[in-house]
Amino acid sequence: MTRAQQTLSIGLLIVSIYSVALLGLAPLPAVVQTEIVPVLPLWALVSFGAYLLGKLGYGVLTFNDVPDAHAELMREIDEARVDLKKRGVEVD
Amino acid sequence: MSTPNNNLLDRLVGLSMLVLATTVFLYYTIWTLLLPFVDPTHPLQSAFPPRVWAIRIPVILILLGGAVVGSFLGMVMIRSNRKKALKAQQKKAS
Repeated sequence: MTRAQQTLSIGLLIVSIYSVALLGLAPLPAVVQTEIVPVLPLWALVSFGAYLLGKLGYGVLTFNDVPDAHAELMREIDEARVDLKKRGVEVD
Repeated sequence: MSTPNNNLLDRLVGLSMLVLATTVFLYYTIWTLLLPFVDPTHPLQSAFPPRVWAIRIPVILILLGGAVVGSFLGMVMIRSNRKKALKAQQKKAS
């Protein structure tokens, strides 16, 4: 089973369960039916956005500088610049 | 490349994003999923606006976001097309 098939089948499953709940085909408590079921997709979207933002923020928070790699990268850039200049290409 | 004291600012930005995301999630979840089960006279209800807004605010934000992204895309495309047309003109003239 490919990844696309897997995602599609899970998506279809969720959509069908939600359709059953939305159309009232399954008996649910009145409060749940009128107030919560219609709101669920929007809630899922907002929660997904919050999850992405949180994941981004966490990544930024735990991102550590690597001074050694930075120095090495700068050195490599200079070497490349010299090398390219030798072959007639101006960089930066 | 990166200035020596960028670390603190970066961590602050990341932490604030994380805190904002958590707050939004908790507030919105309580608003939409918890409040219907809470007594209308409970003091907790006073911390939340009427539930209609729980629908309106995200929809408005989505439409606004779509408008911003769409107009930015449009501007970039118009600018690039104009440049392309200008270049074609110059080529024809030369």
